[in-house]
Amino acid sequence: MPPSSIEKAFLKKWLKGLQALSSSSSSSTSKKEMSIFERKKAIKLSADVAMASLKNGTTSWSRALIQNASKDDNNRTLLKNMLGSQCDEKLSRGPTTTSMMCSMRVRSKRVLRRSCRWRRVRKITKDQRVHAGSMAKRLVKKRTQVLRSLVPGGEYMDEYSLFEETLDYIMSLRAQVDVMRRLANASEFSSKS
Amino acid sequence: MERIGAVESSLQFSEEIETLMTVPHESGTPSSFTALLKLPANQAMELLHDSSEKPYDYTFNCTSSSSHLHFPSNLALVERASRLSVFSTTAATPAAQDSPETTNSSQNSLKVKNEPTETDSNPNSSPVISDPMSQTQTKCQRSGKRKEREKKVKNSSKKSKSGENEKPEETEKLPYVHVRARRGQATDSHSLAERARREKINARMKLLQELVPGCNKISGTALVLDEIINHVQTLQRQVEMLSMRLAAVNPRIDFNLDSFFPGESGSLVEGNFPSMVMPLTWPEVQPIGNRQQQQQIWHFDTLHQPVWGNEGENPNFITPENSLLSYDSSANSGKMGS
Repeated sequence: MPPSSIEKAFLKKWLKGLQALSSSSSSSTSKKEMSIFERKKAIKLSADVAMASLKNGTTSWSRALIQNASKDDNNRTLLKNMLGSQCDEKLSRGPTTTSMMCSMRVRSKRVLRRSCRWRRVRKITKDQRVHAGSMAKRLVKKRTQVLRSLVPGGEYMDEYSLFEETLDYIMSLRAQVDVMRRLANASEFSSKS
Repeated sequence: MERIGAVESSLQFSEEIETLMTVPHESGTPSSFTALLKLPANQAMELLHDSSEKPYDYTFNCTSSSSHLHFPSNLALVERASRLSVFSTTAATPAAQDSPETTNSSQNSLKVKNEPTETDSNPNSSPVISDPMSQTQTKCQRSGKRKEREKKVKNSSKKSKSGENEKPEETEKLPYVHVRARRGQATDSHSLAERARREKINARMKLLQELVPGCNKISGTALVLDEIINHVQTLQRQVEMLSMRLAAVNPRIDFNLDSFFPGESGSLVEGNFPSMVMPLTWPEVQPIGNRQQQQQIWHFDTLHQPVWGNEGENPNFITPENSLLSYDSSANSGKMGS
């Protein structure tokens, strides 16, 4: 299948980031040889950041991903090269007020849940009538929690935006996997022969 | 859509009510409510309660001097009164207060308004007594009239789905917008907003179902979410594995695809794995590749032709990215494509 323009753009950005990484590492004396794990981390990071930067901050997950990446000081140079200095400054301002409020809400909910857990257990054992609807709701809630942990920045979103972001995230992940696979196959093939 | 229709129907009701408003004024008789009923007051009260009770003369002329007003102590009426405590007048405890249907109450509220204006014309009755009496009278009448009027209302209402929903409401106020809810569903604003939100979320879930392969047949939110989570986790794991493969393939992390250009010489990076760097090895790779595998690998035929319409680039060269991406890896890849 011919690659889409997104995939081409992604590849360009990704390779640019990798070059930036390798050039910066070659300048420092200690990093002449990176371990395989370090390399893998660098490759994955630059791929993720490249994909996220293609979104130009339109989606929440991309912003969250870049923010998470910028928290680590080691990645600063990479991010600067890939995004340009302006984006880095914009994102390093920290979480927005809405996400802060949401995180506070989430945290307080968690505290409340923990404190009420023992009470809830007792209630359940006493009350034998378990309604099917409430059980389904609990299952859905559990799954939603898991999904939140998977999608970057998912903990700060409400249900509706979570699903929208998941949609977009899945599409981007697919493109990313596609390009990475092609590159891996090509390089493996050419290294064999 | 339902709500808009409900608003329209309620507006129509308000128009009907306004026409009704003019009627009593024109008739101007003290017993206007009975005139509407087309029954004398006595018979109306008989409809209201069992014949065990003495029928009271409930016309306005009987507000004569009696400070005590005896009302039929029908159990049903008492129950209704307890349900709806709109009026808390002292004399009116057993007054018949119903939880009427919405249009009923609106029509009755107008009658309530009309009655006080007409009782004012009665000099005998003190205002304190007459008001509760008139109001309770109308309330007493209401249950009797209800049957006749219910039919009228139901015929005139466009949507009578809310047969189960009876809202207790202030009967003194003018009619306000009534929302027709679906059968068995609440009508307050919270649940409406909740319902709208749920519908939005369900629409998103449907989109996700279409996107994730194998989700179409599944019904039920939890299972669909399971599949979605599975899919996301699979993709993330694939990214990890691919980056591991790429790290294993070459000692350095920069893939210099510029080296594919036969003309370029300056951009060779040292330490790159040889096959990607050396254009000289390129022709060696090609025949081997063609012999061993039957697939087009690097599209060397197209070296002199643009592949995908390079934007503003030299049309004689394919960009390394394009050539890389044209690599058909279906046979080479050991993984199952998603």
